[in-house]
Amino acid sequence: MLDWSSFALDAARGSALNILIMAAIIIPIMIMLEAARDMKLLDRFSRKLSPVMRIFGMSSEAAFPLLVGIFFGIGYGAGVIIEAARSGRLSWKDMFLINVFLSVCHAVIEDTALFMALGANPLVIVAGRLVMAVVITYLAGCSKFTDHYQRKKISGGRIRAG
Amino acid sequence: MLTADTFRRGLGKGISVTWELSKIVVPVYVLVTFLKHTPALKWIAGFCEPAMRLVGLPGEASIAVVLGLFTNLYAAIGAIASLNLSPKEITIIALMLLITHSLPMETAVAQKVGVSGLFMTSVRFALSVLSGMLLNLIL
Repeated sequence: MLDWSSFALDAARGSALNILIMAAIIIPIMIMLEAARDMKLLDRFSRKLSPVMRIFGMSSEAAFPLLVGIFFGIGYGAGVIIEAARSGRLSWKDMFLINVFLSVCHAVIEDTALFMALGANPLVIVAGRLVMAVVITYLAGCSKFTDHYQRKKISGGRIRAG
Repeated sequence: MLTADTFRRGLGKGISVTWELSKIVVPVYVLVTFLKHTPALKWIAGFCEPAMRLVGLPGEASIAVVLGLFTNLYAAIGAIASLNLSPKEITIIALMLLITHSLPMETAVAQKVGVSGLFMTSVRFALSVLSGMLLNLIL
């Protein structure tokens, strides 16, 4: 038989407590993210990252949109990627590899904070996502399939961003 | 430049994320807590136990996995909060879901960029299972 009063108590107390913990973590994190954005931290960081981009088969122009996606999420990242693509600074391969990397590893600050509030180990989840993203982006960057696909895209004249 | 506006924007975003989160986490938390008070959760758990054990998770965690894959992370968070998982189990399910979540929406996004959605989904799912198995061994 269902114990309604103990269910109601569990549900109310538990959900209120969890929301409070999440608010306590997510609000300071969002303030820090906005501060990082206004201080243009990623602009400076992306210049340092340029040599690393070559290992993945990407141009140095790809560093900034990639970093925005990693730290601020796909929403912000997409805006920057579309902007960079329109101005012709990104090749199809750049966009493809950014997409591959970000599909596994995006919005790391916000996502990690939320799971940290539940009790997950933040270091393990950030490192785990980064390693997985680096591995598949490297493989995709080396693969003949990507180059073949890029030629097909460019000859078809359909480079799309989004 | 850091101004008072930076702080105000951050605060506003934090509150809006918390609000969006609450709208999903609270109903899911209530629903899963309800299931916990009925035999239904045990049936689901028993059915999923063999597959979940591969990645070191208990059967009832399958609810959070399904919600995360097919709806979004917020719903999965609501379910995880209600289930009594150990820190190791929470870390495993967190990494798995962070690698692969919101498949219907993110597949559509991948397709827009010209990448096969099915291909990306399969790769992410495989990476997710692989990292779950690895964490189960390491942690």
